Amino acid sequence: MIYLSQMLGEPVYDVNGEKIGRVNDLGIATGEVFPRVTALAVEGPGKTPFMISWRKYVGSFDDCEVRLKVVDTDIRFSYLQPDEVLIRRDLLNKQIVDTRGMRVVRVNDLKLSDTSSSQLRLLGAEVGARGILRSLSPHLERIVTRCARALGKPIPERIIAWNYMDLLDRDLSSVKLSVTHKTLDELHPADIADILERLDPRLRGQVFAQLESEQAAEAMAEFDDDAMAAEIMGDMEESEASRMLSEMDPDDAAELVSELDYEKAEKLLRLMGVKERKAIRQLLGYRENTAGRIMTSEALIMDEGATVGDAVERLRNLDDDFETVHYVYLKDDEKRLSGIVTLQRLVKAEPDERLSDISIEDELITANPDDDQEDVAENIAKYNLLAMPVVDDNGVLLGIVTVDDALDVLEEEHAEDLQIAGGSTDGDQSGNGHDLMWLLRRNAWFFIWMLGAVVMAIVTLGRVSLESVLLASAGLPIALIVADDSITYVTNFFLENDPDDEDSPSLAGFAVRSLGIGLVFALLVLLMLMVFNTIVRTQYGMGSISSSLTYGFIAAAASTLASFATAPIYLHILHRRDEQNKETSGFSLSLVAMFVALAVFAVVCYVVARIVMV
Amino acid sequence: MADVTEKSTPTAAAESGQQQGRRRLDPKRVLAALGPGMVAALAGADAGGVATYSNAGAMFGFGQLWTVPVMCFLLIVVQETAARMGCVTGKGFASLIRERFGVRGSALAMLALLISNTTVTLSEFAGIASGLGLFGVPTYLSVPVAALAIWLLTMSGSYNRIEKILLAISCVFVTYIVAGFMVKPDWAQAAHDTVVPQFANDPRFFSLLVANIGTTIAPWMIFLAQSNVVEKNAREEDIPYQRIDTVTGSVVASIISWFIILVTGHVLFPAGIAVNGAEDAAAALAPLAGPYAQVLFGVGLVGASFLAACVLPGITASAVCEAFGWERGADRSWAEAPTYRGIISAILFVSAAVVLIPNVNLFGIMMLAQVVNGVLLPVLLVCMIVIARDRHIMGAHANGRIWNALTWVTVIAVTVFTVIMFVLQALGF
Repeated sequence: MIYLSQMLGEPVYDVNGEKIGRVNDLGIATGEVFPRVTALAVEGPGKTPFMISWRKYVGSFDDCEVRLKVVDTDIRFSYLQPDEVLIRRDLLNKQIVDTRGMRVVRVNDLKLSDTSSSQLRLLGAEVGARGILRSLSPHLERIVTRCARALGKPIPERIIAWNYMDLLDRDLSSVKLSVTHKTLDELHPADIADILERLDPRLRGQVFAQLESEQAAEAMAEFDDDAMAAEIMGDMEESEASRMLSEMDPDDAAELVSELDYEKAEKLLRLMGVKERKAIRQLLGYRENTAGRIMTSEALIMDEGATVGDAVERLRNLDDDFETVHYVYLKDDEKRLSGIVTLQRLVKAEPDERLSDISIEDELITANPDDDQEDVAENIAKYNLLAMPVVDDNGVLLGIVTVDDALDVLEEEHAEDLQIAGGSTDGDQSGNGHDLMWLLRRNAWFFIWMLGAVVMAIVTLGRVSLESVLLASAGLPIALIVADDSITYVTNFFLENDPDDEDSPSLAGFAVRSLGIGLVFALLVLLMLMVFNTIVRTQYGMGSISSSLTYGFIAAAASTLASFATAPIYLHILHRRDEQNKETSGFSLSLVAMFVALAVFAVVCYVVARIVMV
Repeated sequence: MADVTEKSTPTAAAESGQQQGRRRLDPKRVLAALGPGMVAALAGADAGGVATYSNAGAMFGFGQLWTVPVMCFLLIVVQETAARMGCVTGKGFASLIRERFGVRGSALAMLALLISNTTVTLSEFAGIASGLGLFGVPTYLSVPVAALAIWLLTMSGSYNRIEKILLAISCVFVTYIVAGFMVKPDWAQAAHDTVVPQFANDPRFFSLLVANIGTTIAPWMIFLAQSNVVEKNAREEDIPYQRIDTVTGSVVASIISWFIILVTGHVLFPAGIAVNGAEDAAAALAPLAGPYAQVLFGVGLVGASFLAACVLPGITASAVCEAFGWERGADRSWAEAPTYRGIISAILFVSAAVVLIPNVNLFGIMMLAQVVNGVLLPVLLVCMIVIARDRHIMGAHANGRIWNALTWVTVIAVTVFTVIMFVLQALGF
């Protein structure tokens, strides 16, 4: 095996042993899986490299020299052909896409075929650690690999063959690639989006521009980060951008357009075809997070009286990019949705059967465009549907919500609920950092306790003895943990009850209930205080110890009551933010509640102590 | 404009507006571009910066004031080049180094960056420790807590949420400007010393000079400036705006450092107070804040150091991973980006561990880090010159002769000062 890093800079001799320069680069023909090296770039004494044909002039070569088979004066220079790529200039040290591993990597070295035959071929790009080590020094590579093998963890070579490389820096669309060459274009749009998200913004735009428009449109819809998609769109030519929007499914396009700023969005919409524009505008007319916003208007609608043959004919003539058809929807004379035919029944039926005869007999399950998207998604799951028809008040079919969109909704809502419940949204990112974060979150009361004790000690410094402050703050953990619990209580209530539901308890009812719990809790704390006091007094008698403890526990009881009494406020905040579609983290709510509890505790402690002293 | 009025359709008006925008600077875009330079400038007034400038003033009075305008100019040259490279190529500095110099060159450059940034992080921890020390918090408590907090912030990517707060806190050093007017220094003398360079035959003078260069033109600021531009996806037509940002940021940074030297030179130098710790440096603010000088100084020092300590490990890890093609970013997990997270953790761990060595001189560490920074700066500056003048990479925006010469001057000046510093030290002055 021979590597480019070893060949670069090696001397080039002519047939007489005269040195004519050093190896600067190799050109390859791009049409094969393992491309042949076709050209040799030599850096002569003049510092400017020149190219000669490999086949015509190179006699022999190994990793320390290249020998030509002609004399110096017989060499004719050649030029880089359009289908040739210079592997040092275009590949080495560059970022490429590994289209099989679906990652963006940097080429550390290039592996070339054996030196035994006169033909030299590019086997692939080395992207692993060994390439880096080898380029630093071949000895280093040998030592490290030997050590690694001795330790039982050999470092494998990570080679990407030419047919699985997609060059980012150089547009290869003008180069005729081998049939088996897998470019970014051929990946699944979701994978393309994943890869693009890992590139720098500029490169992202450039690579995106190279994609075929259909792939580009689908990849655009697959971006996790809508803001990123909007940014790419903002950088594109307007005509190009509007063409892409037209090619996307209307629901995806609407989502993207809503991310753009108003002027830009209007401009793009104006450039689009009338039909697509109308579809998008209609979707944008619905509020966010409703069925109307996520539905697609691409559904197959037939007259009730039509036959199976007609339906099949319509199916055959649909555009390729039409939303996948799972059902055929039937409309009556007044354009109302009157029946649904599954694809299976359609295929099984005779061509001359009437569609209305084979439609589903059960009651039709439909959604209203103003319905909450979460409800629609849940109904799709409940009734095992592949798509849910959305109808207006008159029963006219407006569009359908497909199961893939419903899954997205459920995932999104699940993440939001988790966050409100105090969990972490990025569940798949496990690691030490997150474990520690988790510990911190679960035990925030402990740190606030410490902080509160320190602050109270500093504030009262010189006026009250340190031990009585510390004793008083012994009651603080109760106040803090109860505050934390009150938030859990609120979030549980929020997640379990839908405010739009008629039989869910009202805010006033909730307030009464939580006040009751708060009272009970506060009484419990006071009861404990009495028990404590009895024990302490029998041991130490009346004194500062018992009175400090008393202040602390009275303050804890007051703060407990306050935490539950304010619970309806947090519930109200949650509802308000939910209506405005803002995400709320349960953890920050807890933090707020705990700091409020701390404040209440401190104030009550202070007031009680003052009253007693007076 | 006359022909436009005839068919003044909205699009025509918009187009003419755009053309005007190209010729004249659009105030809105100027404001939008401002920011990264300011952040870099304020973060530049970190622990090491304050320590260096305070020392310069305390040891040599106004003797090093002349360095400020020179440094300001060189800072503009370097930062402008970095921002321009980002605008033209859309790639980070590390990417460019790798693509231009290959594995060996980038390994060298990244090693230099790694060492220099680790020592700077070290100095930030020293800053946090000595700043909190003013409030009576012992080092063995403040440093581990700060390290853990910074580690969690950078790992979870929630650093951005508190960036603004930290920036606001670090603005405390702007009070040096107020203090500068309150202490009523000899303005004529100050102006004279700002313009006329002077040298002292003292190794400390030269090590301070190297430290001064190292802290003003810190390697990490080059990477930060360029990556900010790349993240914003600024283009060639945005270069004028980036220039405005660079110049304002550099000038603000220099004004602050000038006033720090002025105040310490006026207050501490005549009193013969050597800056051996945060208390001494804080004493310079006494004319302004009286008994609260220590609180003011402490808060500023901790805020600025914390800010820089949050930024630095991330920049370093990001640059190294960019150069070698490994996954990077705060949103990648340990499994996805082990090297990125590993480098950040290692830098934080090493820095915190060194500061925790008993009886270590914290202000000494801050100074030493800046010297290391200065010594390693030429490695990265040479990379920068070579890339910035390469027309294959930079196209029409390649460096002109003057810019090249100025960068070379910086490189040679740092090298010469470093050599003088070592020679003087070796001779045992």
